[in-house]
Amino acid sequence: MGPVALLAADAISVSFGGLKAVDGVSFELREGEIVGLIGPNGAGKTTLFNSFVGLQKLTAGGIFLEGRRISGLKPHRIAAAGMTKTFQHAALFPDMSVIENVTTAGVLRHKLPEARQRAAAILERLRIGALADAHVVSLTFAHKALVALARALATEPKVLLLDEVMAALTPPEMDGVMRVIRTLREDGLTFLIVEHHTRAIMALCERLLVMDFGCLIADGRPLEIAGDPRVITAYLGSAATADGIGHARN
Amino acid sequence: MLFAVFIGAAALLPLVLDPRSHLLHVGALALLFAATAQAWNIVGGLANQVSLGHAAFFGIGAYTSTLLYLRLGISPWLGLPAGAVLAGVAAALLSLPTLRLRGHYFALATLAFAEVMRVIANSWTRLSGGPLGLSIPFVGSRPELFAFRSVSAYYWIILVLLVAVCAVFQLFAGRALGYQLRAVRENEDAAEVTGVDTFRVKLTASVVSAMLTGACGTVFAQFTYYFDPDSIFSLAGISVRIAMIAVVGGLGRLGGPIIGALLLIPLDEIANATLSGKAAGLSQLVFALILIAAILIQPRGILALWPERKSTRPEVVHGMTGTYRWAP
Repeated sequence: MGPVALLAADAISVSFGGLKAVDGVSFELREGEIVGLIGPNGAGKTTLFNSFVGLQKLTAGGIFLEGRRISGLKPHRIAAAGMTKTFQHAALFPDMSVIENVTTAGVLRHKLPEARQRAAAILERLRIGALADAHVVSLTFAHKALVALARALATEPKVLLLDEVMAALTPPEMDGVMRVIRTLREDGLTFLIVEHHTRAIMALCERLLVMDFGCLIADGRPLEIAGDPRVITAYLGSAATADGIGHARN
Repeated sequence: MLFAVFIGAAALLPLVLDPRSHLLHVGALALLFAATAQAWNIVGGLANQVSLGHAAFFGIGAYTSTLLYLRLGISPWLGLPAGAVLAGVAAALLSLPTLRLRGHYFALATLAFAEVMRVIANSWTRLSGGPLGLSIPFVGSRPELFAFRSVSAYYWIILVLLVAVCAVFQLFAGRALGYQLRAVRENEDAAEVTGVDTFRVKLTASVVSAMLTGACGTVFAQFTYYFDPDSIFSLAGISVRIAMIAVVGGLGRLGGPIIGALLLIPLDEIANATLSGKAAGLSQLVFALILIAAILIQPRGILALWPERKSTRPEVVHGMTGTYRWAP
């Protein structure tokens, strides 16, 4: 056996009444991995993310960060333990400036003046330092995505869950975000990414998890996944072919 | 800066006015309501937990200091912190079930709490004196008993109280807790996920807000010499009024409650003086219409007519985004 997995989901389920949104999902993330989580709409990806960061209670199973059980903790405790997520549509604090958004997350670990300095450093690192005093409502989608990423980074996570951070970005903007993610991984950060852009997922991730109807139906390298008949069926119905996936999702 | 000029000018007012004039009385009342609305602004403005029950804490402050004085002879100067602590304890107890509520549900729960306090004060006659209320006997000028002959003395004490409450508000707004409260206000889930203990920050704000409101209640009792359960725990007269002052002036901003109180309290007085003799309820109707007009014209408060900071203006940002490029 190798070392303890950084993040482990052990047979987790989430039910809404009779509907099982997540159904007995188990997998592990190792440190420094960039793993993609894909699946058709309604497969349970966002519910899974919400349960990881404590916004959604599990009905069964357990989630472990560095071997420590975190399921059942409140979201801020999970953030303190080292895992946070970005939201679909960024969910920034609209009435605050860019640097205030990021600083708010930084006070989790630092006093206010230092949190502000670190926030400025994170913005510089993401090459949006010039936007520090801008009001977030006036930002472009790409900049909002980067501010959301910066805010998540300010909590100094070990595992970062990105929920469609590249939605509505142009291809060059996407390349920029992907470059940022890769350099952060070199610093030891581990990523789990939900993304609808197949090109981004294929280029970025060395491993993919596929969900369908709440179940994990595949876990492997992107090229293996792309040829997996179950995955193709989930996306396109039984008559589809392997090279159809990319077209369907783009 | 503007704040310092205002306080300086306000401090000089009793020197130029006739000390027995009604205007000074109204001025003192306006400043007292500005202080109370500022206390409310900590939880209502910074955290957007709109309480419609702050009369509960106001009344607890008034009753605590007055009962300690009347029954045990304890100076209201000591009754003031005692009332503040009791109001804080009440807020903490109320917070346990209500802070998980959001929006209208929170407002209704706090409203119900103040109503409960009003009913208790009316019916627990042995403790509270019941519906007859409490009168503070006139003892002439006894500064150690918080009793003065001149309105000017009360006016200056109220001004000090206002400065103190504003200082606490600024301390909150400028600290980590202020950032976290604003984050809670804008997106509670996102705040939690980025590490904000939303329950703890809301609880802290509620307790501090209630304590300051309790202190204002004590000062109000000393200033008016008389109150009864229906006036001190009043929904329209206290709870809604202080919320309205903050909302009309500018929610969550230092100057909001001050502008709001300076506008609404004299307006209320004028409406009462000129219209209440003409038809029953006419003054309240006119007052309500003016409030509705103010909210319709500028929902974010009068202060929103001025931008908060130049750098947050969108047109500056657009210029910046235009030149921004992904660096290789």
